[in-house]
Amino acid sequence: MAEGRHRLGAAARSGRTDDKPVAAAAAYVIILGVHTNWIHLVWAMMAAASLTLGVVHLVVWFKQRSQHANLIFFALASSVAVFSGFELAIVGAQTPAEHALWLRWAHVPIAAIVVLIVVFIRLYFGVGRLWLAWAAVGFRLLTVLLNFSTGVNINFQEVTTLQHSRFLGEVVSSPIGTLNAWQVVAQVANLLLVAFVVDASVALWRLGDPVSRRRAVVVGGGIVACVVLVVGFALLILSGAVRAPTIMTPGFFVVVAAVGYELSWDLFVAQRTATQLRQSQAELQSSGERFRAVVEAAPNAMLLVDAQGQISLANAQAESLFGLSRDVLVASTVDRLVPKSVRLSHEAYRRGFTAEWRPRAMGLGCDTHALRSDGSQVPVEVFLTPMSGAVPSMILVSIIDISARRLNERRAATQRDEIAHLSRVAMLGELSGSLAHELNQPLAAILSNAEAAQRLLARDPPQIQTVTEILADIVASDRRAGAVIERLRSMLRKEDVKHALLDLNHVAEESLRLMHSDLLDRRVSVDTSFAQNLPPVSGDRVQLQQVMLNLLINGCDAVAGRGREARLHVSSRVTERGGVAIAVSDNGDGIAPQDIERIFEAFVTSKPHGIGLGLSICRSIIEAHGGRLWASNNASRGAALEFELPAEPTEKRA
Amino acid sequence: MTEPSATVYVVDDEPDMRKALERLLGAAGFSVQSFPSPEQFLALHDDTLPGCIVLDLALPGLNGLELQQALQAQGSALPIVFLTGRGDIAASVRAMKLGAADFLTKPVDAETLIAAVDAALERNREKRADRSETLLVASRLASLTARERDVFDLIAQGRLNKQIAAEFGTVEQTIKFHRANLMRKLGVRTVADLVRLAERAGTGKPQSD
Repeated sequence: MAEGRHRLGAAARSGRTDDKPVAAAAAYVIILGVHTNWIHLVWAMMAAASLTLGVVHLVVWFKQRSQHANLIFFALASSVAVFSGFELAIVGAQTPAEHALWLRWAHVPIAAIVVLIVVFIRLYFGVGRLWLAWAAVGFRLLTVLLNFSTGVNINFQEVTTLQHSRFLGEVVSSPIGTLNAWQVVAQVANLLLVAFVVDASVALWRLGDPVSRRRAVVVGGGIVACVVLVVGFALLILSGAVRAPTIMTPGFFVVVAAVGYELSWDLFVAQRTATQLRQSQAELQSSGERFRAVVEAAPNAMLLVDAQGQISLANAQAESLFGLSRDVLVASTVDRLVPKSVRLSHEAYRRGFTAEWRPRAMGLGCDTHALRSDGSQVPVEVFLTPMSGAVPSMILVSIIDISARRLNERRAATQRDEIAHLSRVAMLGELSGSLAHELNQPLAAILSNAEAAQRLLARDPPQIQTVTEILADIVASDRRAGAVIERLRSMLRKEDVKHALLDLNHVAEESLRLMHSDLLDRRVSVDTSFAQNLPPVSGDRVQLQQVMLNLLINGCDAVAGRGREARLHVSSRVTERGGVAIAVSDNGDGIAPQDIERIFEAFVTSKPHGIGLGLSICRSIIEAHGGRLWASNNASRGAALEFELPAEPTEKRA
Repeated sequence: MTEPSATVYVVDDEPDMRKALERLLGAAGFSVQSFPSPEQFLALHDDTLPGCIVLDLALPGLNGLELQQALQAQGSALPIVFLTGRGDIAASVRAMKLGAADFLTKPVDAETLIAAVDAALERNREKRADRSETLLVASRLASLTARERDVFDLIAQGRLNKQIAAEFGTVEQTIKFHRANLMRKLGVRTVADLVRLAERAGTGKPQSD
């Protein structure tokens, strides 16, 4: 310890020889580094720690120039390091003059520390009264001014003697002398600083969030506590109440440590945020990849489209459906993919979709087609799903190629029509006798009329008047025969289904005419009650006539055992649903309840020679017309078969 | 025997056909009356007049065969020429069994139809003549006394006077007397004529033993 004291004194002496006190203090610090006594070691460590912290934040500031708090912290920490050098000089002073000089110059780093604290608080807290800040800074600068212009420094008017005492096993100097009256300005400056920090901390605390509160406690509380302690201790020493060296560096170091901790906390938080950001970015990316994988794996063509119709994602199925590569698809809008004929309406439709944002199928009720790159069109089903939460708004478009389904539907329809035709031919076979009779009747009338005419013309004088009437009748009969042939031919012909507007009463009447002879033969009497002014239905005349004939034959079979009582009632009506229904009611034995649906199954028949296709064909014909065919038992006797077809909407009839 | 002129009744539900037949038969010189249904024909025709029927087989309500049966039940003498739209063999056999005059298939040519109608009218004439002779015989038979009628029956069966007298327990001379009387009343001169008359009257019963 003795060597330590001696060396300290030697160092102090050598330091005093230097004319520039600041440079001397710095040199002192460096020389101190090699001593092992406690004060020098601790002070040097604090100075080094402050400088290290400061440099770390200087580097942070270099990386992020906007982080002024780090730069200020660097300045603060450097000031504290410098001050610790001055303080070592003060406590090691050998003469009152030396002490006074070091103390005077020590006020420069103190002022720097105060100003930097104020600026840091303002910058870092973002709160605090500005006038308090200016006042604290102003009074501190005034203190520095008075420090150099009055007494030996702001604290002492003069230092008469130095008292040496032991502190931490080392001999330190404490000044004894008259106090400078202007010292009160320094105290005001200290009070203003404390007031500013307290005020700013309270304001920060009141923000209420945990980070602000922690900052208010750690930084604000740390600064206030240290300033109060340091100033209080200094005042006690200066007033002579306590004989001890003024020791301020540990207090300032606490401030540096508190602020440094807080800034490091920020660094830590920033680091954590960065990690989280990276993680969430990675997650986002992987979820994006998952989304892409799902879209790619989807069995349908899929497109991701924005509100303007711009495609941003397409899968392999979309490439093959549209015959366009992914790059071309992504560079286009969806309008390119719809047939030219509907392009304009499609744009309007797209705007309508973005106006009402919900999943839906596209082109409901009508056929939707996709335009391929080769100009051909593919029937498709399109479903649109808005992507919730996506910015900007995106629509996931799912397109299903339904050409295979359409083809199957067409095949089924063709098959149905072929079977209908076959069963029609078979049915006409059953009716052939009757039909021959229908044809025979007018031919017979023509022959008789013609021969009557020959005889009348052979008379003298020829009966021209009657012959004229006869010729008119012949023409009418011939037309009638022609009509029968035409009806037969159209029933026998295998033609494409032709839809036309039909009056079902007319269809029923025509069928009854075709059945006329058969009904006579079978001794079945028919009465009719047709509703007048039926709305027209859209349908194929031949197929509907086939249904009608089938129902009539079916009715005749049902009443076959009734002898003279055999009767059919054919009626038409407008249904509650606005459709048109035709019923063929018989007075036979009715249908067993368990068979009321079975009779419409194929190959179910009650006739010994029937193949059981009639009613099942009828049902498929009626269903293909959008209607229904059903059977029911009458309340009184027998059963009724009735079919209903939707009426053609009025606006379409025009 | 002077007959009132014959009428051809046409019964067909098809107006065209009915009119055509009416014209054709009219042009062929027949007097024609037509009816759209068997019911109207039954209600309106005069059974006592000579004529024949040209009848469509397939008719609503009562059909041709049923009309034929109804007329037969009434003992009508009107022969029927059936017309049918198709060669329905079963129906034609039934019609012919019931005594139809002819069964023609439409379209029928004028010659065939007129020939059939002529034949039917001839048949009607014969039938009517036949019927009037039968009526005459019946009235003559009615003029015989009960014993004369018994003797007539036995003579018609081929019995000899002696056998008849034995049956009645009388003498041959009495039978000869009755025989002369009844032959005078009936207007026959020979036994052969008497037997023929008995046959026409339907009274000639073959001997069972």
